[in-house]
Amino acid sequence: MPTFKLDGKPIPFDAGETIIKAAWKQGVDIPHYCWHPGLSAPANCRMCLVEIAPKPGARPVTLDVLEWDAKAGTYRTTQKPKLQPSCYTAAAEGMEVLSDSSEHVRKARRDVQEFLLLNHPVDCPICDQSGECKLQDYWLEHGRYQKRMRDEPVHKPKGVVFGPTIVYDGERCVMCTRCVRFMAEVAKDPVLDMRERGNLNEIFVAPGRQLDGHYTFMTEHVCPVGALTTKDFRFKARVWFLRTASAVCQGCATGCNAHLDYDPRYNRAYRYRPRDNEKVNQFWMCDEGMLTYKQAHDGRLVQAKVRGEAASMAQAFEEAKSLFAGVPKESVGLVFSAAHSVEDNWMLREVGATVLGSRSFYASGAADGYEDRILIHRDKNSNTAGVKQIAPSAKALQALVEDVGSGRVTHVIALGAAAASATDALRGATVITVAAHQGPLADVSTILLPATSWAEQSGTYVNSKGIKQVSDKALEPLGASRPAWRHLLDLAGALGYEVSTTSLKQIRAQVLGGATVEALAPSPVTAPAE
Amino acid sequence: MEPVYAELEEGELELPAEPMHLNMGPSHPAMHGTVRIVLDLSGETIVRADVQVGYLHRGFEKMCERGTWAQVFPYVDRLNYVSPMLNNIGYALAVEKLCGLAVPERCQWYRTILGELARLSDHLTCNGAMAMELGAFTPFLWLVKAREMVWDILEEETGARLTHSFGRIGGMANPPSADFKGLCRATLPKILGLVEEGEKMLLKNRIFIDRLENVGRISGADATALGWTGPCLRSTGVAYDVRKAHPYLKYDEVDFDIPVGTKGDTLDRFLVRLGEIRQSIRIINQALERMADDGPISCDDPRFVLPEKDGVYTTIEATIQHFKLIMEGAKVPKGEVYSYTEGGNGELGYYLVSDGTGTPYRVRIRPPCFQITGGLSKLLEGRMLSDIVPTFGALNMIGGECDH
Repeated sequence: MPTFKLDGKPIPFDAGETIIKAAWKQGVDIPHYCWHPGLSAPANCRMCLVEIAPKPGARPVTLDVLEWDAKAGTYRTTQKPKLQPSCYTAAAEGMEVLSDSSEHVRKARRDVQEFLLLNHPVDCPICDQSGECKLQDYWLEHGRYQKRMRDEPVHKPKGVVFGPTIVYDGERCVMCTRCVRFMAEVAKDPVLDMRERGNLNEIFVAPGRQLDGHYTFMTEHVCPVGALTTKDFRFKARVWFLRTASAVCQGCATGCNAHLDYDPRYNRAYRYRPRDNEKVNQFWMCDEGMLTYKQAHDGRLVQAKVRGEAASMAQAFEEAKSLFAGVPKESVGLVFSAAHSVEDNWMLREVGATVLGSRSFYASGAADGYEDRILIHRDKNSNTAGVKQIAPSAKALQALVEDVGSGRVTHVIALGAAAASATDALRGATVITVAAHQGPLADVSTILLPATSWAEQSGTYVNSKGIKQVSDKALEPLGASRPAWRHLLDLAGALGYEVSTTSLKQIRAQVLGGATVEALAPSPVTAPAE
Repeated sequence: MEPVYAELEEGELELPAEPMHLNMGPSHPAMHGTVRIVLDLSGETIVRADVQVGYLHRGFEKMCERGTWAQVFPYVDRLNYVSPMLNNIGYALAVEKLCGLAVPERCQWYRTILGELARLSDHLTCNGAMAMELGAFTPFLWLVKAREMVWDILEEETGARLTHSFGRIGGMANPPSADFKGLCRATLPKILGLVEEGEKMLLKNRIFIDRLENVGRISGADATALGWTGPCLRSTGVAYDVRKAHPYLKYDEVDFDIPVGTKGDTLDRFLVRLGEIRQSIRIINQALERMADDGPISCDDPRFVLPEKDGVYTTIEATIQHFKLIMEGAKVPKGEVYSYTEGGNGELGYYLVSDGTGTPYRVRIRPPCFQITGGLSKLLEGRMLSDIVPTFGALNMIGGECDH
């Protein structure tokens, strides 16, 4: 692999790769606003300028500049090296690149920073980006000057509604055009552009259109400053109070990697942010997926129920014991859930098939929906492939309705409440439902056990490409909810059986053949935090 | 009725041979700082004294690990709460050592003066309280009156009489007030006058002298072995003072002496403190002469020092600087440091570990009192019960420092 030197440190690169990207892959961050690893490079922010030493024997590329000579009290002509944008300059074998070690580069960064903040409003206290803003970070790293301009700053439109999800603040914008490029290059909907020039430069939506579609949230997430904010997160939380868990989006079978930001003080999730993963979602997520963080709270079941009446967990298990007494194993049906983790489904098979002896397997899940060629998958369940591995013979839920109708199945243990087809006919059977959310299978249940959502437990999910991914625990369980596998374990106990696998670690050892969680998570692109 | 022991001769009378157990403290007027001494007494002689600290425990060092580096200042105020300014300055110097920061000349003089004022407060309190505990109430009032004058100056400078939280990484919270020098020059002679009056009442008092002299004696070698520092060590004749041995701030540019004792008894400790009060006043007077009337009081490195407040409200640059320092804290370079200064009771050491973030990874305090209190049982054993109060008082144990 060819290498070049960045501040004396060798950096390997692929042919044609830019300096900034090769450095980024090695975890070396060259400061930048407009460059994004997943987008084209316009080289317009000028923050990533570096000094490239001339080849031996070659004439250095220099600029004539005027420098203030304090002693003489006048300007004098001098020269300085012409700096190059590292986001646009291809790396070459043996190239000597100076970044932090060049005095000219440091001065250029400071000056670019001063330009960018020239008309910036004093908004940090009311800005949602505060705490994760590149203007703040780079001012302290590379700026460290105080304001010299005493004129009234240029004012631009604030609070411009771009569409149903996004609000734009022209004064905070640094015109990096990441949002413009994202919409054009990734979302394939070039609805944003910039107008005017210089100080009056601003981003606008194509006349007659608004910023809508399935990828509007990403414009906010690629925005390095607080210019674009989502209506959903705007003024909801301050980011320094939030903690982050590495989650897997439950919106569809793509299984996008995400950061789930939550406030531990209120045990509440506030947003998703895309988590880079080259193999799955690169750097992106869709709007629908980004909003699924709400499922951690909305429509949740947090109380055990017996025939629709709130009950204690002990009462529920007592009732289950009497209802399942003497039931022949052929009459028991198991409903696996494509919305629950591999571990939950495995425990259902362990308890239902191995212990109770049932052989009638069915699978439930949400109905198919919109799909596109970017990220969104038709299958709206996070773990369809995982259920196929655990219970390859599982039939559709419609088959259960028929089997209950024919009297072949009289007792059902169901995981998850979502159903793609009518389930009213199941009222004729005795149904124990272990579910996190309300849904058709919860409505028909005789006994309902509240399970934790993906946000409250660590679980493994297999996406449509067959990649096993672990979603970490973020929140503490809501109400009386507990992990579904634990409910199933206790259910087996209540029915008088003993299951030897009693911890998540043991389940994983069995179901994943001893593979560790770390080995399962596809390694993300190594990069400094965006 | 016949007396029970009528036939016994007096020589045969058996007294109980078991030593008597007695709890002194933790809540006892003379056991300031909530310390407990479990005594085994034979008559009034102390056979064994088990000194137990820890009744004043706040998990101080752990608390420091959850805020920013700057948020530790209010905590260190509550170490030796009789001289909080010395703790502030010691901590600021430790963090600055880790950051490689040097504060401006004017700030160094200012810190020297404020630190010596705090030392005055410390010694006045210790000597005054010890006298009071031995029944001499009037000198206590006089010395505390002098301490009030010190606190008036500190209040004028910092806004708080006791817990100032005035130190900052890279400087002080505010520059000296307009009439700082005038106030000091007017007050110091008054303080000295009160000290002189107070000591006249005590040092010519036979009862007071008798209760201190040859009580709680310790040799220089023993004190050194126990890790003693400060006035208690110097009372044994060992002239170790961090200000002279390892000068910091401006102590190498001022003239002062180290008062030492000869016998290492309680009276020596009392006298050493009186001597140090005079030396502190001498240092302050020199520093007042040399401190500039204007110039910066803090460094101008925006990574560590807060911007001017009016800029924070009007310019984005200062807002960002303020935001980063307050919300994330100054990023102290990765590494560890041990920094030590002369506190009120001796060597006050801070061992800091930084993982490069805005929050301390570890703050370890070496409080002078902890080692000194460790020697208390050795001073007491074999002495009389009534010697506890002066011996303990002269060690000047401060509960806040012994939080271990």
